[in-house]
Amino acid sequence: MFSPKPESALIIVGHGSTVNSDSSGPTFEHAEEIVRRRLFGEVHGAFWKEEPSLRQVLHMVDREDVYVVPNFISEGYFTRTVIPRELELAGPVTHRAGRTLKYCEPVGSHPRMTELLLHRATQIAPGVPARETSLFIVGHGTDLNENSAVAAKREVAKIAALGIYAEVLNAYMEEEPLIAQWDEVAKSPNVIVVPFFVSDGLHSYEDIPVLLGIADASAGAASANHAEVFRRNPYQLRGRTLFYASAIGTDPLFADLILEQVAAFDAQHQPAALA
Amino acid sequence: MRDVTQALAAWLEDGGRQIGEIVIHPVGGGFALCHRDDVGREDLASTSRTEAARELANHDDAGKFRPLKTAPNLRHGWRLTVPDLAELRRALDYFYPAMLGVWCSHRRGELPPVPLRETLGRQSGMYRVTQKITDAAAQEMIGGFCRSEGGCLKHPLWEISPGQPIATLPAEKLQSPAARESWPLLCPEACNLLVAKAREVVKKSDRKE
Repeated sequence: MFSPKPESALIIVGHGSTVNSDSSGPTFEHAEEIVRRRLFGEVHGAFWKEEPSLRQVLHMVDREDVYVVPNFISEGYFTRTVIPRELELAGPVTHRAGRTLKYCEPVGSHPRMTELLLHRATQIAPGVPARETSLFIVGHGTDLNENSAVAAKREVAKIAALGIYAEVLNAYMEEEPLIAQWDEVAKSPNVIVVPFFVSDGLHSYEDIPVLLGIADASAGAASANHAEVFRRNPYQLRGRTLFYASAIGTDPLFADLILEQVAAFDAQHQPAALA
Repeated sequence: MRDVTQALAAWLEDGGRQIGEIVIHPVGGGFALCHRDDVGREDLASTSRTEAARELANHDDAGKFRPLKTAPNLRHGWRLTVPDLAELRRALDYFYPAMLGVWCSHRRGELPPVPLRETLGRQSGMYRVTQKITDAAAQEMIGGFCRSEGGCLKHPLWEISPGQPIATLPAEKLQSPAARESWPLLCPEACNLLVAKAREVVKKSDRKE
């Protein structure tokens, strides 16, 4: 149970997009969920590519005690370079202009991410026997100077160790093992695919469905009714039953992980160290 | 503690009624908001969900995504009612992110403008190349991108570099107006959309060479 912090502000940082609202949507929705629970004095989203920007957001904040949680899948260029630079953070704790900024770990690094991925897999394929199912966790790949592939591999190892699914596999859009070859890699009759991204967008609406063979590249899946691709489960193709989930970051339980990253920060940084 | 909501209350009490393209009408204990062009229209789609402000702010009349919320292309045809001042603030933070707080910072003298060269100078990764933009190209870019007509409603308070002001926008655009009926929209630093534009300008000129 998260103990309320009415004297503190929470800033959830997302990447955002100049092209569509899907990228910032989940960050705002998690913020709204936390507002509804009345756990912080104030909650704001902030973005690299949208408004409020990382440079603007502190002007919106009334309170002096401010937690910053990156809504990113992994540690990497954004969490280590861009966010600290734009918010002028000096480390995990920054004292500036009468404020204390507390920089938490990214949501994707939370140990309960494994639980969330499992929850999502069960949810989209109810009643499907896990022992006859191959579960794919799909990452972007390593081309973005991010550690998202490392994080995806960590989650696959953790889920596999639980021994629930017949097999748990990594796959990427742009590097081996390729998600396009899912039917060659997977051995089970049922296949579940969960994109390991913080938000839906072109990758989950169009790119991955095209690579899976459940959408037509020319149809412009990302334009109209883009979420339709998640509603047509299961797909029968290539001799398998395929279930395709939306990006893990759209799961409402992400809001809980954001709160837990705040709690984890407090546990790590005792009040004496903050003085 | 600062209090942006209180500053908003004081401004409303003094007769403040407009922010960007939005008009605010006090209704009972709450407020009704609509596009300034829609005042008097009776066929507006009404909502009382504060989060609707985010959805309304996301797309223009043609359904195109609005990455810049202070672009003068707020969609028409809606009316949002909010029950109190706190919800009004939340709605305005969606429509014009940070603009309430930025003006409060300005009034307290806590809004130092950041010259464009400093903003570009700290860019890394794919935006590092923006440091190569010439002053002349930057002036031209700003004159187009930041102009009020079709560009952005904010008032840039920053210079290209110290002592080198923006020469391609009218003088009244480059200073903060008084907060009377309309809440000032201030820009203390070039936004990421302008930085991305600078990258485009540099890449284009590289290709020409």
